[in-house]
Amino acid sequence: MFNLKEIIAIIRPNKMEKTKEVLSALGFPAMTAHGVMGRGRQKAIIGEVSFYINEQELLKKEGTMRYIPKRLISLVVPDEDVSLVVETIMRINQTGQIGDGKIFVCPINDAIRVRTKESGEEAIL
Amino acid sequence: MKMIRAIVRPNKAEEVVESLAEAGYVALTKMDVIGRGKQKGIQVDKIYYDELPKTMILLVTEDENIAPIIDIINESAFTGSFGDGKIFVSPVEEAYTVRTRSKGL
Repeated sequence: MFNLKEIIAIIRPNKMEKTKEVLSALGFPAMTAHGVMGRGRQKAIIGEVSFYINEQELLKKEGTMRYIPKRLISLVVPDEDVSLVVETIMRINQTGQIGDGKIFVCPINDAIRVRTKESGEEAIL
Repeated sequence: MKMIRAIVRPNKAEEVVESLAEAGYVALTKMDVIGRGKQKGIQVDKIYYDELPKTMILLVTEDENIAPIIDIINESAFTGSFGDGKIFVSPVEEAYTVRTRSKGL
């Protein structure tokens, strides 16, 4: 058992560049990114609309936008860096609009670098 | 909190999403993936396909919702043939909402 955590963040595609830049400046250049489609509790209404939306009514309505394109980034970091990375991602991606995304922190049992067969924290540093 | 990753047939994905939404689980992420299972792909006549397109549905939920969600996915993604997919459940320790910076789903 190593003290590693996987941080899975689902963020806006247009914040990707900034997120990468700041994370690598902080010393976390390694990450995996996917282009994904998704929706949140509001059933995929874009946060960009500026009028008030009643969540409960919206859930019953048909014909809302089904999915919104997002970026999913996942990075594995040692335990002690989790709060730093989470805080950084939140600070960069917060716009205050619905659809800013979610961040999940999951336990990782082991990590192995294929090239050298190192395992645990050595593999990701 | 648990993360459910369901790998289903692309043509069943909409049905799964619809039935999840009906039951009140609207938040999810989906992505197109390529993979193979225990049967090592599929052989159609002389052509052998070992990378089959699938759709991965990813959602995070509280522990008590796991059983109903798995039932819903199992029911709506079922065809009875090989390749219906798999569902994985893994632990999530923390979740944050970026907009409000609050902890929890």
